[in-house]
Amino acid sequence: MFTNYLKVAYRNLIRHKGFSFLNIAGLALGLTACLLIGLFVFDELQYDKFLPNGDRVYRVYTQGTTSESPESMASVPPMFATTMKQEFPEVEQSMRILMYSAISLLEVGDKKLYIENGLIADSTFFDIFPLPFKYGSAAQALDAPASVVLAEDVAKRFFGDENPVGKELKMNKQTLLVKGVIQNNQSKFHLKVNYVIPLSAAEIPAERMSSWGWQQFYTYVRVKPDTDIKQTQAKLQDYITQKVQPLMPKDDPIGFVPYLQPLQDIYLHSANFKFDTGPRGNITYVKALSIIAVFILLIACFNFVNLATAKSVQRAKEVGIRKTIGASQQQLMLQFLIETVLLTFISVVISVVLASLLLPALNDFTGKDMSFNLLTNPVVFLLLVVLTLVVGLIAGFYPALVLSGFKPVKVLKSTVVSEGMFGRVQWLRHGLIVIQFSLTIFLLISATVVFLQVNYLHTKDLGFNREQIMFFPMRGDNMNRSYETFKNELAQGPGISSVSIGYGFPGDAVAGDQIIVPKDGEQKLHSTTHLMVDYDYIKTLGLELVNGRNFSKELTTDKSQAYIINETAVKEFGLGTPQQAIGKTLIWQRLGPSQPDSVKKGQVIGVVKDFHYKSLYDKVEPAVLHIHPDDYWKVAVKMKGENISQSVAHVKDVWGKFSPDYPIEYKFLDENFDQMYKAEDKLKSLLWIFTGVAIFVGCLGLFGLATYAAERRKKEIGIRKVLGADVSTIVGLLSKEFVKLVVVAAVIAFPIAWLVMRKWLEDFAYRIDIPLWVFVAAGVAAALVAFLTISYQAIKAATTNPIKNLRTE
Amino acid sequence: MIQIENLEKVYRTEEVETKALNKVSLVVNDGEFVAIMGPSGCGKSTLLNIIGLLDEPDGGSIKFAGTEIAHYNERKRADLRKRNLGFVFQSFNLIEELTVLENVELPLIYLGVGAAERKQKVEKVLEKMQIMHRRNHFPQQLSGGQQQRVAVARAVINAPRLILADEPTGNLDSSNGNEVMELLTELNEAGTTIIMVTHSEHDARYAHRVIRLLDGEVVMENVHKQFTV
Ligand SMILES: Nc1ncnc2c1ncn2[C@@H]1O[C@H](COP(=O)(O)OP(=O)(O)O)[C@@H](O)[C@H]1O
Ligand SMILES: [Mg+2]
Repeated sequence: MFTNYLKVAYRNLIRHKGFSFLNIAGLALGLTACLLIGLFVFDELQYDKFLPNGDRVYRVYTQGTTSESPESMASVPPMFATTMKQEFPEVEQSMRILMYSAISLLEVGDKKLYIENGLIADSTFFDIFPLPFKYGSAAQALDAPASVVLAEDVAKRFFGDENPVGKELKMNKQTLLVKGVIQNNQSKFHLKVNYVIPLSAAEIPAERMSSWGWQQFYTYVRVKPDTDIKQTQAKLQDYITQKVQPLMPKDDPIGFVPYLQPLQDIYLHSANFKFDTGPRGNITYVKALSIIAVFILLIACFNFVNLATAKSVQRAKEVGIRKTIGASQQQLMLQFLIETVLLTFISVVISVVLASLLLPALNDFTGKDMSFNLLTNPVVFLLLVVLTLVVGLIAGFYPALVLSGFKPVKVLKSTVVSEGMFGRVQWLRHGLIVIQFSLTIFLLISATVVFLQVNYLHTKDLGFNREQIMFFPMRGDNMNRSYETFKNELAQGPGISSVSIGYGFPGDAVAGDQIIVPKDGEQKLHSTTHLMVDYDYIKTLGLELVNGRNFSKELTTDKSQAYIINETAVKEFGLGTPQQAIGKTLIWQRLGPSQPDSVKKGQVIGVVKDFHYKSLYDKVEPAVLHIHPDDYWKVAVKMKGENISQSVAHVKDVWGKFSPDYPIEYKFLDENFDQMYKAEDKLKSLLWIFTGVAIFVGCLGLFGLATYAAERRKKEIGIRKVLGADVSTIVGLLSKEFVKLVVVAAVIAFPIAWLVMRKWLEDFAYRIDIPLWVFVAAGVAAALVAFLTISYQAIKAATTNPIKNLRTE
Repeated sequence: MIQIENLEKVYRTEEVETKALNKVSLVVNDGEFVAIMGPSGCGKSTLLNIIGLLDEPDGGSIKFAGTEIAHYNERKRADLRKRNLGFVFQSFNLIEELTVLENVELPLIYLGVGAAERKQKVEKVLEKMQIMHRRNHFPQQLSGGQQQRVAVARAVINAPRLILADEPTGNLDSSNGNEVMELLTELNEAGTTIIMVTHSEHDARYAHRVIRLLDGEVVMENVHKQFTV
């Protein structure tokens, strides 16, 4: 019996080539998209799963209680690790990593390389994260201050293939001893590690390390097995309010609540954390892609159902005959299900081939290293088998039910089997088309909104000019000491219009601290961003002064007693209008109230228009600009853009004069800025690609349906033509039905898309309003695509000689 | 074999109500060859389809070998069909995707007969129907007469007790038609009961008895002279 079913299934497949092609192509494409998305999502979910006992490791983070929208901070004060280890019996081990993002110069002999992603961590680092060692061992690797553990490829760059354990290496001119080399395969680790040095090497005063306010450490704890982590978290929160809060000075209370984040959640669930580090995914995007995959699969399955039921007319007779001979409905259902599963199986095979061909491109695009090998991975294989059966059964069940339910008298008696005989099928088909188009329109709107927002991120007027600004940190004592001459020599170069040295450039790290605003006899504390600038900062970045004046070298007091603030600061500090703000006093206590020497008291001399020194995820915060050479670190060189390479060559020359020991490492500021939206850029591209796939798959189905509709109404069309109908009337007749469905789909999709996209946009402090035309465009595009798909068949039907169709009846 | 009493069938469409069968009563005995005649639309096919369990009556009783079958459920109908009935249609109704051999074999597959036995039986029937040489052809590649021979072969493969034929020669020329009638007669002589709908007086003469329908009612039964004792 089974072979008979397969035989018929195979012959049907061959006989109705067009139908089979549409079905297989749609399903194969849909499945390919799903497979690729599935691989991506699976890969995203693998982070930190490889670490032994990782399920007992948690990261401590805090949420602010002072500001209106509590922000999550990845870095916490150093005392958390100390306290939790000592006073919480369920905490087995704790570990801190200093938040420190500078690039260091590593040297071995003549080899000098800047290496990023060095970690400064407690010696318990390898206890919490038992990364596999290639050379040396984790035990005591970080016990002595002058130690370093290298990542395998970093070790290779300096030492080649030899074992470097016991050799010396210089970091920023300090000598360290190589204690071990960790293996390279940590692509699924939530931290990027090129080397690790012990926290003891940083020689932070013990007083600083006992702070509850210095939020500078990524802190991890490992708890004992079977610990109720909710309880531990509650205990920790109580500890802060009951034991720590009373110790704090009145004017500087603890403004956060601590939480414990499971290690395996860090990678995907930290997208909106402040001061986080390392590669991060985004659960929103993972979910979005998963949903798209389901959408595409649904669209493909619906195609299948629609085409199969449309075609059922052709197979009605066969069903009638089989039933007359004595086939039961169950036997017929089984037969049709086997046919669907066969089609699905072929589609799955094709999609596996397609997916393997496309995987390298996806790897390239996402920077991942995914592979899927059917032979080595039985899980994937099993998954495919299950997928085949599930899709085959879902897509095949309803058509099988309809087909096997035909009454033999009905289908055998009448010479023409008409659709009308199966009224419910028509409804279902229309319902499915509406759902398909709703999904498509939803995707179209989402993709467009994401496109517009990303475009906005890249092109929004940021309030400063980010073009042609070369950007690099100063290196070496000589350069730091004589930064003024360095700057002057730079500025003299060809095509260089201005140079600024400071700390706090857009797109780069900025310092945050409090500032005192005396008002009505009170000293009000405000959190603010401190931009440590020089006299040319405003000019170099092209900032706009709305009131007052720029810093001036001629006025010596500008260095010690002058502030320029942004418009937000005027508002937040309650200084009235920008004009009224001029002359107001601000006080900065650099090292706290206990060190009166470090107090900088001055007047507001100018107000700059708000500019976005952070990404557009963040609202512009109050910012205070002042001259503060102690913190000068980064250099921005504005070029005229006539001959950039000549200007860059000049900068390199001057660098070589001041810091020959250090190679220069530079970027351009706009690149730096664009980097911030990489995740959105990728989302945008992926959305468009998969929306395209969804639309295409949907069109395949529509094309098939239109073919059948034209086929079915051949005779009607013939008669209409004989009676004088012209081509456009007939095309209209055939398309009307489908276009109506698109309209219904649009009505369903619009509000949903609007809600979902508004929710997504809420993550951005600066965002577009979803323009009305997006909806109109998506609706029109969907209708147009539907119409074009259908009209091919409609025109074909409308232009055939009517006599031909009438005769064949 | 078949006892029908006061059988009724009404078709309702939106506007009209057609009484296709109006209190039809008749008996067909084991081993009989009965022809049903009447003008187009008088209810012949409806009657045959109800006897063949392809359709349900709206009233009355129909017994097959003494058992009431008017209200059998779908499963029981399918079962009775595949064990006891064979069908021959005017338009042959062969499955286009299957070869001659596969078409004829199909009822045995549904009966769950093993492959070896199937092969043997099918070959025997095909030999008998003189269509063996075409066993691997598809229906479209055969002439009308050949197709109907295949249909008859398929109808008899399960050794049914009753064969129902709805205008079996309607689409055939006279020589092919006669061939099919000879086949049916042979089957009847071998013991199979046959009920045949026909328009042709010529074909009706092969039958023992003719039942005439008009507007859903039996108007006359006449027994052919040659069969009167
Ligand atoms: N499915 C149906 N729906 C409505 N009327 C039907 C249907 N089938 C048959 N009829 C009507 O029932 C009557 C008998 O039909 P039928 O048994 O096919 O006639 P015959 O086979 O004698 O030509 C006719 O008037 C026909 O129009
Ligand atoms: Mg008839």
